Amino acid sequence: MKEEKTSASGKVVGTLLFVLGFAGAMVLGWVVFPNLLYSQKVQPLNFSHAAHRDNDCDSCHKFRPDGTYAGIPKISNCKECHESAQGSSEAERILVEEYVAKDREIPWLVYARQPDNVFFSHAPHKGKQIECVRCHRDVAKEEKLPPLREDRITGYSMTTMEMTECEKCHAERGASNNCEVCHK
Amino acid sequence: MQFAAGAVGGTLLTPLPWKLADDSAVWSQNWSWRPSPERGEITKVPSVCTLCAGGCGIQARIVNGHRAILIEGNPANPVNEGSVCALATSALQFLYAPYRVAQPLKQTKKRGDKTGFQAISWEQAQTELSKKLEEIRVEGPQSLACITSSRRSSMDDLWAQFLTAFGSPNLFKMPSQCDSSRTAAQLTTGNASPFAFDLENAGYVLSFGASLLDGCAASSRASGALRRWKKDRYPVKIVQVESRCSITASKADTFLPINPGTEAALAMGIAHLMVNGANYDAYFVKNNVFGFEDWTDANGKKRQGFKNLVASSAYSPEQVAKITGLEAAKIREVAKEFASQPKALAVWGTGRADISNNTYHELVFVALNALKGNLKPSGLIAVAPKVPLSDLLPQKDILSENASQHPRLDLAKAQSCPCPQNGLYGFLDAIASGPKYPIKLLMVHEANPAHCLPENKLFMTAAEKVATLVSFSSYMDDTALLSDYILPNHMALERFDDVIGVPGAPYGYYAVSSPILKPLLDTKHTGEVLMKLASTLGGTVASSIPWKSYEDFLKFRVEGIAKAKTGAIIDKPIDISSIKAGDPVTPNYSDGADLFKKLKAGTCWHDAPTGVTFDKTSSGKLELACQSIGKGTQATDDVIYLPHFSPLKPSGSESEWPLLLVGYSIPQVSCGYLANPPFMNKLVPDSVLMGNELFVDLNPQTAASLGITQGDLVMVKTTQGEASAKANVTPAARPGVLYIPRGMGHKAYDEYIENKGVNACNLMEVQLDPVSGMGTVWATRAQLRRV
Repeated sequence: MKEEKTSASGKVVGTLLFVLGFAGAMVLGWVVFPNLLYSQKVQPLNFSHAAHRDNDCDSCHKFRPDGTYAGIPKISNCKECHESAQGSSEAERILVEEYVAKDREIPWLVYARQPDNVFFSHAPHKGKQIECVRCHRDVAKEEKLPPLREDRITGYSMTTMEMTECEKCHAERGASNNCEVCHK
Repeated sequence: MQFAAGAVGGTLLTPLPWKLADDSAVWSQNWSWRPSPERGEITKVPSVCTLCAGGCGIQARIVNGHRAILIEGNPANPVNEGSVCALATSALQFLYAPYRVAQPLKQTKKRGDKTGFQAISWEQAQTELSKKLEEIRVEGPQSLACITSSRRSSMDDLWAQFLTAFGSPNLFKMPSQCDSSRTAAQLTTGNASPFAFDLENAGYVLSFGASLLDGCAASSRASGALRRWKKDRYPVKIVQVESRCSITASKADTFLPINPGTEAALAMGIAHLMVNGANYDAYFVKNNVFGFEDWTDANGKKRQGFKNLVASSAYSPEQVAKITGLEAAKIREVAKEFASQPKALAVWGTGRADISNNTYHELVFVALNALKGNLKPSGLIAVAPKVPLSDLLPQKDILSENASQHPRLDLAKAQSCPCPQNGLYGFLDAIASGPKYPIKLLMVHEANPAHCLPENKLFMTAAEKVATLVSFSSYMDDTALLSDYILPNHMALERFDDVIGVPGAPYGYYAVSSPILKPLLDTKHTGEVLMKLASTLGGTVASSIPWKSYEDFLKFRVEGIAKAKTGAIIDKPIDISSIKAGDPVTPNYSDGADLFKKLKAGTCWHDAPTGVTFDKTSSGKLELACQSIGKGTQATDDVIYLPHFSPLKPSGSESEWPLLLVGYSIPQVSCGYLANPPFMNKLVPDSVLMGNELFVDLNPQTAASLGITQGDLVMVKTTQGEASAKANVTPAARPGVLYIPRGMGHKAYDEYIENKGVNACNLMEVQLDPVSGMGTVWATRAQLRRV
């Protein structure tokens, strides 16, 4: 009888320990680990997409005449309107004093930079009428740039699109998933 | 235990292990030493390649205006029509090479000691050099000399201007087949310009060793011609006559494997059959050729003509078969084809056209084309037209005052040849063997004679006798390493330069090579260094070179074209080969400034071919009896005036040296001033170079008789030197002949270039051509044994 009792309580303790270990690992893996893995980097100055709502994406994130994608606008683009301060915010002060006046490019942190071994061209995707928000966050109402969460091991942003995402969309739309489409 | 099991189970259901595994793989792709191209805006900058003389249009991809990432062909350029060779594709490896000379250097220890170079300022370098020049000018300006490989560039004329104004006749060029072609053109047509071939419009091509697809002087143009030959409904037949089965031979319709150096004998054999069978252009020959029939010289002596010489039994198919190793029936077959094809063209060459040919053999090939009527005004052969650039005339020709007492060093010996040309070998020989006057300062520009000059020991010996050796190389090459001073030039992509004509092309061509980006290092354009030296020297030297920048100098030169109001700019793809001699080309530029602006933007200037004229010869005809060869002598042998097979005997006896060694070029190996870059090394087949071991090709018969098998380590010994290599037993080689690739075996640069293989030039023998005095190379007697 004694043995059975011990065995029953042992089982309970064992199960509890198992659950504890399981739950701990889950917390560690799902909550602690991502926070440890990704650093939070702040942009050099805040940019409010919402304040620039009168423009569509293409007017700043434009294509060059040869069809290549210019990505983040250069300081010359900002200068078109911000040669002098357009408001009294801290971001405006940093923009004008640190970058426009000194004619320095802003070292923006890029949320979606692909590795060197990926050949990605925006032009054909744009040509297929794919919306920017299919891959990028919707910035239409965004007033504050989120911090860049950079993977401490790889150096890539947490929001950098992974290959499976590309493949999934290609498969859905009947686009080729051959290696050489993206890895030239 | 249960806790651990739960933790493991739980962990497996979280991203932790999978993400860590994935991240560590991605992390390994991003190690800091992994090269990563700069990101940013990419622009395309058009220019013209000057890495060889081919004149190809290129465009460079530049990131953010300062980092070049790719060189590709410019489709708007009519020479290469968008294609480029492996060398141009590798051009950026020269630009960013670790072996570039970053600032002026002065040797403080023994010559050749890498550790002895001390960095000095440009001011110090130029001051020390101008001080030496001032001393030489007082003591005897003839003691200054220059060796350059610049030929189709205004740098060539600037050097001539500098030396002439300074008072020295000693300007020499690295060898080129252009020199022997120019000699033959001068002797037969009176034009001092190399022959040009209308390859694109030929209907049958008989090539005597021309390396059309093995990296000849204008390889992109030759590849373009091949594309046309094969594309047509009736493809052009190509017959390649060569001793080794090269790439050109393998792509030809017929390959005639021939004993090395006997190509001219075959040409004489074909001419024999054409003449005896009366199967030649008799109308052209009768009206336009002097010396075909027997002729009378200026002294009234009757002399044999080409017709009687070639028709003799010495050039019968049977005799020629014995010389060449071909079958007489095959010779008859090719002769019949060549004679009967309406647009048959005979072309010829010496490997990569960087070696002068035997003058008599050049004349034989001219004669064969003359029989075919190819030198008619509308024929397939022309002489390259002159680009009407502004001439550089010294305001006061000091040279003429000094020249009578101090002629060019190679000519200052008792016996000289009848038609002296670029006498580099004679010059080196004279320095080494006690010259009439010393050479105190030798300047080497864009040339690496210590490596790529066949029988390079002649340069080494001569260099030892020269008090000061100055290199203008952009790279720490074999010659720069031996120098007392290195005044580094900008790399070709960082400077202004120009291209005057395309080798072997019948149309007029001129292009300006603009820098694709700013110079990366503390280098200076050699042209501008010369301008600075001239201004320091003052007097007539300064007034002869008044320009302040090389760009200004090119603007001045281009003014000449604008004044002549000839030719037009090409800024979109055209078929330049469709322009015939005499076709009108309407200028599409307003003045010199407009022309220069357009050229600077990467376009090119062209003009219609001019055809061959014979009005400069004493007979007013094409001279197959070259009267100037025997000028001033009472030659007894009539044959010395005529094209004939005249092999120069290699030294050594056949019994002691039973084999012949022949150097060859492949398009994957640069064998001139530029060393083979790593990109091109990757293209070199394992049968040519494996690791640091170079292979010599030999026929299975030769290998069997010597007990050698594939891959054996062998010792090649020639009358000039010896080297160890590996054996490549291949039927592409002719029995009794060893073939060694040129361009390897550097002793300078960096770990990726030096000591790769052996330098074929160490083993090759040079013989002086009796007509022009230029060094020719065809074969060297050799032995081979297994180690």
